[in-house]
Amino acid sequence: MRALRRGAAVAVALAALAAVPAQAEYADVVINRRAEKEGMPPVIFPHWFHRIRFRCRVCHLELGFEMRAGANDITMAAIAEGRFCGACHNGEIAWSPENCFLCHSGRPGLKSGVRGGHQTSGPGRY
Amino acid sequence: MRRLRLFVLAVAALGLAGPAAAATGKEVVDTICAGCHRAGVLGAPRLGKAQDWKERLQQGRKTLYEHALKGFKAMPAKGGNPKLTDAEVRAAVDHMLSLAEADKGGAAGGGEAAAAKEATAAAPAPRAAPKPRVSAVNRFNRLLEKEADCNPPPPEDGIHDPENDGTHLLLPPKEAFTDLPKAPSGNCVDWVKALEDGYINPRYDRLDPNVQPIVMDLNIVREVKGSMPDVVYPHKQHTEWLDCSNCHPAIFVPQKGANQISMAAILLGQKCGACHGKVSFPVKDCRKCHSKKKPMTLQRTQTTQ
Repeated sequence: MRALRRGAAVAVALAALAAVPAQAEYADVVINRRAEKEGMPPVIFPHWFHRIRFRCRVCHLELGFEMRAGANDITMAAIAEGRFCGACHNGEIAWSPENCFLCHSGRPGLKSGVRGGHQTSGPGRY
Repeated sequence: MRRLRLFVLAVAALGLAGPAAAATGKEVVDTICAGCHRAGVLGAPRLGKAQDWKERLQQGRKTLYEHALKGFKAMPAKGGNPKLTDAEVRAAVDHMLSLAEADKGGAAGGGEAAAAKEATAAAPAPRAAPKPRVSAVNRFNRLLEKEADCNPPPPEDGIHDPENDGTHLLLPPKEAFTDLPKAPSGNCVDWVKALEDGYINPRYDRLDPNVQPIVMDLNIVREVKGSMPDVVYPHKQHTEWLDCSNCHPAIFVPQKGANQISMAAILLGQKCGACHGKVSFPVKDCRKCHSKKKPMTLQRTQTTQ
């Protein structure tokens, strides 16, 4: 009976291991340079959602996003002025930044960086 | 000055419109207070959490009304909405306190849970499950890692917070990808094919959907030492998405023979690795780049025979 119980406990532990959340979507970017320090959950930027609608050029040239996670100093003030995300997220091209929790939807304590099974390590000096 | 007068008029108009339909405490909480008090932003006492409110309530209901009306620490006066009347704010405070009171059972439950936890801690702990072995020695092996479950919905992807309301409003990637051509790695979407075959038509310009990309059709062949097929770099597929200045001259010097590219550099996130392995198809799809067979391989088999 005891062995059975122990077996059950191991099974539960294994199930818990198997249930460790799957990886994020490939190229999801966690942005948490400031968010949590300011009392908001980290931001998750989904590359996949945006590349269906815009080519890389738009954000990485017109909007001035550096192509390296952590190289962009994005603040809500900049977004409100229409820079970075605010160039589109202004209620005209895309929904406005009042929808805080659509971007600030990360789990607490996430570190900034590219997620989703990426293989090349950063920071990638070039 | 004229602007100021307009502003005052506008505020007055709003002020007049406001009391016409006084909101109930619940309405105010749901529309305004919940923005911070649901998630506990900046340490706000959360809705329906008795322990968050306990100490605050000890200061007396009057103090709480005052803080709500005039602001306190991170709490803005009237929750940042000056249109609210004092009565509405007080009603909202009352409603939040009633929610916290309703949680008393939950608080007691929490106590029981804590007691149970202590009890289990006293009992001999079951042996911990063995940790999965991860070799830190050869990081190169990360290339061979099995692809995780493709395209999990946001609440299950391990980085979005399932307790955050926003998470459940986000589009799950699988829904967006249903019609797109599949690939074995990355997003499990063949983005180049999706664009070529017109499954998607992403904008090249932020505002104008009709701007066409400046495509440069020039293949660069890089001969590779060893038995791997040579690399064919297609400018065409890259300029469909990117501007020249995204890669030149910071990542690649635009001059023949000026770029030292190695798989080691790529895996360190340099050269092709600035995007491949992060956002474009990962490095383990060897044959997508190493795609030109060497005539040499054939010669060698002939000479050995």
